[in-house]
Amino acid sequence: MRVLLRLYPRSWRRRYGREMEVLLEDLGGETGVFLDLAVGAVIAYAAVVRGNRVLSTAAAFLHGVCVAVLLQAIGFVVLVLAGNNGAGILLPVGIGPVHIATFWRSTALLGLEARLSLPAAGVGLTASAMLAALVVALAALLLIPRLVKAPAR
Amino acid sequence: MPGRSSTAAYMLLITVTAVGVAEATLLAMLFLFSSILKLKLGVEVGPAGVLFTPPGCCGQVYLYNAATVGSLVFTAGCGAGTAVWKFRHWRPAR
Repeated sequence: MRVLLRLYPRSWRRRYGREMEVLLEDLGGETGVFLDLAVGAVIAYAAVVRGNRVLSTAAAFLHGVCVAVLLQAIGFVVLVLAGNNGAGILLPVGIGPVHIATFWRSTALLGLEARLSLPAAGVGLTASAMLAALVVALAALLLIPRLVKAPAR
Repeated sequence: MPGRSSTAAYMLLITVTAVGVAEATLLAMLFLFSSILKLKLGVEVGPAGVLFTPPGCCGQVYLYNAATVGSLVFTAGCGAGTAVWKFRHWRPAR
């Protein structure tokens, strides 16, 4: 259990390490203590990152990049859903003369035999489930910085 | 203490690495979604491209160069935007 203390930032260990080791010897190796230590390490690192302007900026950059990736994944699934539910077999997406993406509902246009192993309704249902999962992930990602707060002093 | 030029080089390297990893993750996610939805996925990267064909596919999504470039710019822009916002609005913890 003492090994878990190594997960904590060095500054934190220097200040509270000895006290924590004594406390851990008294508490023993329960699952709850293990979880408390793991969550405490995340909160301790969040406090260190929040306290440093450069680290805060780097964390914000990574957060923004993660949000962008999820938004683009949501855009992809929305394109599939729109193409699948649209009237035509082809759904081109673009701005003026610039082509961004195209969705074909079946491979019949390409001269290949359309083998509908996953029916249109099935595609729509699966894509909707994916969209819901991605939206939940995005909401969680946006809420994480507010949930992981530094402990009150 | 590192000089301004080396700090700028570090920042550029970290930015390029983070955006590269993010784009690779996005591509992997799109491949995963395509294989689940049984869609043929084509991604244009410059004069070349990547085509993923899962077995028994019944539709196709093709992403052109504009989507690839737009994705790179959007990812880097989102990261840079949030970083600038945080840098300007950062306050020391009380």
